[in-house]
Amino acid sequence: MGSPNVGKSVIFNYLTGGRVQVSNYPGTTVEIARGKMIWGGISLEIVDTPGIYSFRPITFEEQVTRRLLWTEKPALVVHVIDAKNLERMLPLSFQILEAGLALLLTLNMMDEARRLGLSFNVPALERALGVEVILATSIRGEGLPQLREKVTAHVARL
Amino acid sequence: MLPDFKVDYSPTIEHLIGRLLPLLKGNYPFRPRAVALLLLQGDREIADLTARQEGPRFRQIQVIVKQAGQLSPPLSSSIALARHRRAQAITREVMGKPSLRPLGGLVDWLTLWPPTAFPILALILYYGLCRFVGGFGAQDLVDFIEGRVFQAWVSPIARELAARWLSPSLADLVAGEYGIITLGLRYAVGVILPVVGTFFFFFSFLEDTGYLPRLALLADRACKTVGLNGRAVIPLTLGLGCDTMATVVTRTLETTRERIIATFMLALAVPCSAQLGLIIALLAQSPLALGIWVLVVGTIFLTAGHLADRILPGPKAAFHMELPPLRLPVMGNIIMKTTARIQWYLVEITPVFLGTSLLLWFFDQRGFLQLIIQALRVPVQRLGLPPDAAQIFLLGFFRRDYGAAGLYDLRANLSTAQLTVATTTLTLFVPCLAQVAVMVKERGLPVAVLIVAAIIPLAFLVGYSLHHLLGVLPL
Repeated sequence: MGSPNVGKSVIFNYLTGGRVQVSNYPGTTVEIARGKMIWGGISLEIVDTPGIYSFRPITFEEQVTRRLLWTEKPALVVHVIDAKNLERMLPLSFQILEAGLALLLTLNMMDEARRLGLSFNVPALERALGVEVILATSIRGEGLPQLREKVTAHVARL
Repeated sequence: MLPDFKVDYSPTIEHLIGRLLPLLKGNYPFRPRAVALLLLQGDREIADLTARQEGPRFRQIQVIVKQAGQLSPPLSSSIALARHRRAQAITREVMGKPSLRPLGGLVDWLTLWPPTAFPILALILYYGLCRFVGGFGAQDLVDFIEGRVFQAWVSPIARELAARWLSPSLADLVAGEYGIITLGLRYAVGVILPVVGTFFFFFSFLEDTGYLPRLALLADRACKTVGLNGRAVIPLTLGLGCDTMATVVTRTLETTRERIIATFMLALAVPCSAQLGLIIALLAQSPLALGIWVLVVGTIFLTAGHLADRILPGPKAAFHMELPPLRLPVMGNIIMKTTARIQWYLVEITPVFLGTSLLLWFFDQRGFLQLIIQALRVPVQRLGLPPDAAQIFLLGFFRRDYGAAGLYDLRANLSTAQLTVATTTLTLFVPCLAQVAVMVKERGLPVAVLIVAAIIPLAFLVGYSLHHLLGVLPL
């Protein structure tokens, strides 16, 4: 999950081999998409959610996403954020953590962030939040194999 | 193993959480702390789920939530602020960035700390609205496009061509007193476009810097007294540019209740920029008169908003917005956004102006126009104004600033007290025809009729009281 237009659907397609329509426009995903991922002998259900800015839902899409977290209590939440806007998007990570959901934070759009001269201290961010962090550029597939490994490893530990 | 991450909120909030936690004994998919935070922010869905789980304890929970709802500043903004600060601290620690881009933390802080935030806001509004939109847009650009282009070239040519090629009545429709080109197009492109164009530019500039959400946070409290949340600042401020467009923008408000209140406030007590410019010009000779106008319109704005809040049923929407970082705006973005908004404006609004021309022309042809003006004389004389002023109120209904402009022509014959009464009544009196059309479109006919039916007597009543009150004052 994550804010609108951060690349959730690209990651979903990579993990599931599915074909959710991807466009560079916020709010393209208006329904929940579900897909199956089989990797390393483990089979899991991956869910792609509509964009959500915070746990206090304003729009119908946000309500749908929160209700999903509440009723299905996912084994792991992959929070995808736009690395350029780390500061603006972290509050949603805080809310996922406050809710007690397991989190894997993915700083996406790293190509654009690097172009702006931004750099990230991943171990420090992992320490501050107490969760694992991945750097990715999903449209080029960068960081996605690593993401898949971490997701599988997390589920295997359960 | 789940991490034990915690954001520390203010002592007040932590205390409220502490009181809620022992009451949350049910089985929740979220941690009790998260459930408590959502409850405190007035989340209805979570409240319903909690009520089901906690049974009799829910009473006590409701008491605490109710207390939290009365806090000032509102609890949801304090929570958003605490998260924002934490996010900022973490970002600063882990993100390396080139020194120039996001503006420094000091500026960030200055725009939020009330003692500096309000002066900064005042400066932004003064230079942005009064100087840039009011001065450059409403005067310089309008003088050029309306005066030099339309009055000097387009209108005479249109009149000439219409007279040559069309029957007299059709020529009137195209290029007469209320003609599609000489009135409709001239107003849409010559007067309103420069004003709203500069306003859109100013607005896009603020938007791109990330200042707008801060403004919303600041104004949240002020708006709560009027029964609106901070999001309403945007349409109400836009109303100072053009109420018609602002009424369309009330779509961004969350609940129907808020949309109706904002629509009503816009129609009653928010003068549009063209009207505002003319009113300030009219009253500038007497600071006392200007002061009275500000006082009366301001009081009406607050009282009416407060009353509307009381009367209209429905839940108060909670304000919530994560704060984006302030940054230097990018000119390309601003121009792109401004262009997109102007396009939207032209598509959405131009037909309304053209329709107005058509209607006025039709009324004029049938002789209704004179009849209406005649009928308006009675109430106008009650306000202590000369009968000539009746025309102004009718014109004002078609275009807010047109009414004020008519008053500008009459001002030599009016005393300061009469001017004050006339400008105040005119400010409150009419949502212009375009605004009424948009009100019907956005809110539906019954609501629009109710709003107009409430405003017209109210405006005359205020004008009437002011007329008698001012008789006592030495003006």
